[in-house]
Amino acid sequence: MSGVFDAVVIGAGHNGLAAAATLARAGMRVLVVERAKTVGGMAKTVDWGAGAKGPEIAHLLYNLSPAVTRDLKLSLDTRSLPTIALSPDGAHAVMDGASLIFAAGGMHPQAADYAALHERLCRFAAFLGQLSDKPPPSLAGGLASLRDIGGMARLGLGLKRMGKADMREFLRVILSNAHDLILDELPDGPIAGALAADAVRGVWAGPRGPGSVFTLLYRMGQGGGAALPIGGIGAVTDALARAATTAGAELRFGAGVASVEVEADTVRGVTLEDGTKIAATAVLSSLAPLPSLHLAGAAHFDVETTRRARKVRAKGTVAKLNIVLKSAPDIPGLTDAQTAGRLIVAPSAAYVESAFNPVKYGAVSKHPVIEAVIPSLTDPSLCDGDRQVLSAVVQYVPHTPEGGWTDAGRAALTRRIIDTLAAYMPGLPELIEGKTLLTPADIEHLTGAPGGHWHHAEMSIDQLLTVRPMNGMARYAFGVSGLYLCGASAHPGGDVTGSPGPNAARRLLQERSA
Amino acid sequence: MTQNDTYDAIIVGAGHNGLTTGCYLAKAGLRTLIVEKNDWIGGAAVSRSLHDGWTYSNCSYVCSLLRREIVRDLDLPRFGLQVIPYEGGATFTGDGDYFAYMSDHDALRREIARHSPRDVDAYDRFAQTVMRQCRFIRPFLLRNAPDPTSLHPRDLGELAFLVKQAHGLGARELGETIRFWTMSIGDFLDEHFESDLIKAHLAGSGIIGTGLGVYSPGTAYVLLHHYMGDVDGSIGAWGFARGGMGAISNALGQAFAEAGGEIRTGAGIDRFRVRDGKIVGIALENGDTYDAPIVASNMDVKRTFLRHVDRACIPDDFHKAVTRFKIRGSSAKINIALDRMPAFPAAPPNAPFLRGDLHCSTSLAELERGYDDWKDGRWSAEPYFDMLIPSQIDPTMAPAGQHMMTVFVQYAPYDLEVDGVRSGANWTDGARDALADCVYEKMQQAIPDIRDRIVHSEVRTPLDIEREVGLTEGNIFQGELTFDQLLFNRPVPGYADYSTPIDGLYMVGSSSHPGGGVMAAPGANAAREILRRAGRGRKMPRLAS
Repeated sequence: MSGVFDAVVIGAGHNGLAAAATLARAGMRVLVVERAKTVGGMAKTVDWGAGAKGPEIAHLLYNLSPAVTRDLKLSLDTRSLPTIALSPDGAHAVMDGASLIFAAGGMHPQAADYAALHERLCRFAAFLGQLSDKPPPSLAGGLASLRDIGGMARLGLGLKRMGKADMREFLRVILSNAHDLILDELPDGPIAGALAADAVRGVWAGPRGPGSVFTLLYRMGQGGGAALPIGGIGAVTDALARAATTAGAELRFGAGVASVEVEADTVRGVTLEDGTKIAATAVLSSLAPLPSLHLAGAAHFDVETTRRARKVRAKGTVAKLNIVLKSAPDIPGLTDAQTAGRLIVAPSAAYVESAFNPVKYGAVSKHPVIEAVIPSLTDPSLCDGDRQVLSAVVQYVPHTPEGGWTDAGRAALTRRIIDTLAAYMPGLPELIEGKTLLTPADIEHLTGAPGGHWHHAEMSIDQLLTVRPMNGMARYAFGVSGLYLCGASAHPGGDVTGSPGPNAARRLLQERSA
Repeated sequence: MTQNDTYDAIIVGAGHNGLTTGCYLAKAGLRTLIVEKNDWIGGAAVSRSLHDGWTYSNCSYVCSLLRREIVRDLDLPRFGLQVIPYEGGATFTGDGDYFAYMSDHDALRREIARHSPRDVDAYDRFAQTVMRQCRFIRPFLLRNAPDPTSLHPRDLGELAFLVKQAHGLGARELGETIRFWTMSIGDFLDEHFESDLIKAHLAGSGIIGTGLGVYSPGTAYVLLHHYMGDVDGSIGAWGFARGGMGAISNALGQAFAEAGGEIRTGAGIDRFRVRDGKIVGIALENGDTYDAPIVASNMDVKRTFLRHVDRACIPDDFHKAVTRFKIRGSSAKINIALDRMPAFPAAPPNAPFLRGDLHCSTSLAELERGYDDWKDGRWSAEPYFDMLIPSQIDPTMAPAGQHMMTVFVQYAPYDLEVDGVRSGANWTDGARDALADCVYEKMQQAIPDIRDRIVHSEVRTPLDIEREVGLTEGNIFQGELTFDQLLFNRPVPGYADYSTPIDGLYMVGSSSHPGGGVMAAPGANAAREILRRAGRGRKMPRLAS
């Protein structure tokens, strides 16, 4: 292997692959190096044995950018799933787009208010969504920089086009909290709870925390639905890997990066953990800022950048429980088709807020918030025979509880999650053939995401847009000439959006053509 | 016999903002009446003698935010206003130590080093950032908040001023400003400091008066709201009004009287009288009616429109916006007459920092847990409090040798939960005593014999504050200081210019921009708007720089 690559991409997660595909399609010679044996990062389908496959960490698509799908010509087979707001009294509700009905059939009394709220949020989310596929507005040269005045004007125009009433409402709620926004329209209960849970999934915040409207809108950027990829979430990263290799990019596995080589403040390539040196004129890192900085060496960054990188907040709050079941669980009150939906355990917004309290002090929620899905019901190819896999995203779980994770602590958390689910799925414990718990610490270990954080860096307003992941480093270029951030810590942020990678790639291409 | 009379302008509520508006309207030549439901003026800026020989600033208790432009323009010192700065403050730990804040920079660096050597330089960085943000925000306080949805030249002008100020910051500081305005005080302090005690000492200003915790985004701004004032030019300094906070209201009242204004106390409003979408006057509870083409409400936006304006007189969307306006009670107040200066065994004798603000909360986690309690309808099991003994500096507050202590308590809910029911009615005498007891228990960290020093005390729950002062839910800022209720969103989007859907009716209290605190800025800004619309804009002195 000789010669100089135009770009080395560190990490074959969906963002690294999307960056590589974008660069390769533009004619660059690209190499993706991945520490693990396969592509995927947080978006993998894994084999749990016993003839059952399922998602490892991420399990659904909420806001995959259509621009990325189109530009990279991805062919994805997905099924849209309704959201099932589970209710302790058995009166579960089905939320599908703007429609809200009882699972048992029949008008839901909150249907009209929910529809109006949903439509309003979708309009706001669509406006915000426009910001995702380009770099955030620049602050360089203050507000009046010529380069960005066009962008700002377009933004302003977009706002104006909403109409005065919507624009006012948007500016009122955008930095506000989901709890108030939801409860101003709906009584507290499973519908409000499901919305509140969506607002805070993956973040270190409760629905009462200002900024949770933004994270709700972020998730709703493509219409607010959830989609299940056939073949599991790994099908998305596989498609991105195919797009990259078809365009000529190389992928190398078992290739952890030991360091990014820098000479004269310019990137020269990377050295792998096995000592292999790879020359490249640019390096795109899908890691978070601090690990990226460490790879290049703090000596190449100014003190302020180092300090800021150290202070980027990424306190993971999500655990994952993957369960292999003998057969599909019975959920009284739901049809088989509804059981295949996105199941939300969040009986009220107050419940979600209370669940957040303990994690602030390093403890696990007594009553966790859960988003569960049984993908094998929609996609039978995942399992043999009657077997099913249940994938549960669980909040709030600290990265490291006081005293560290012990076997007893893990067992207690597992039991708590199963008990919480079993309240709605009475026969669940007897159906379990196998289970795997991933704490935030495990997720950090598997993926390198700091704190095991779903989004690599907290999605709070002070770490978003023009200051994501840190002030002065928001437009992908990362300190050293030729080094770029292309992962979830970069704008627009986390979830399987596919946006940060191509945005970073385009930044590199622009600089090369300038 | 009911009375009836006609004025050029009527102001409902003689709080410091209503009085300020009154001063400017009267000085502009309008025949102005202020009506006040209590038998005294001042709203939440009052000095009350509730125990022989002692004077309590029984609501607001310290002064810094009062705009010096207004103090000077209205010549308030001539009417007896004297603000005496105090220096320093301290947080006492449970194990006999303390962190003292001192205004002498070298002494402060030594004190920080005693707790955490690495925090010494961090403090300078912290102080610079906060000061920079203070300098950035101060010019906006006496201006209207621009409406970004409006193409009106005045709004565009204000927007241009904002852009110019922001542009002047440069890219790096603009980024820092965005972060500062949106982050939590806990995260901001965690970015700077290592010592829990120092963080806890500084964090209090981020939560005072709010329904937010130290880790709620937006609380760094609340800290700014408490730092952006000055005592005659010394930015960030706080002081005591000699004679208590009522001295401010009394000085404003005298300035108003000198300008020809009339005040009627014991005159609670029944309703604002509206005809064909236009204000025509007010009706009092006692049946008196007064006519005026201009009426201003110093009450909060909820009390004004949900209690005293006929529902049919306001459009649905405005009514909805007022209904959802967040004005959450989160603070209590205890005013104490002490038989002598209490001993602080941890502190050196006569330590100057004892004349400042004293606290007993020692970590951010403890403060955050206090917030969790409040969310669930309880007062904090370990409450944060801001206690001061102004009689050390101002001998008029207590008999010689004896002292007055003011204790601001965070958090106490308005709708206390008892047996699963949340209601203000749960604030019984027993609950009130239990709250005070909880505060004294914690206070023993600083003053072990506090219970023995108490000659008299007045415990004021959010419900008490609502009942006496009229602040809905006892919220001290007349509305939460969150972004959805700041600047052009305050109090209602589209009505940040002190106007209302009713022609001739104005909002002049802290529900309006720039918000709460004894600042007088909403009152002065509103007066400018009222006079401009009345064609008398030139009569308003230019206060903004």
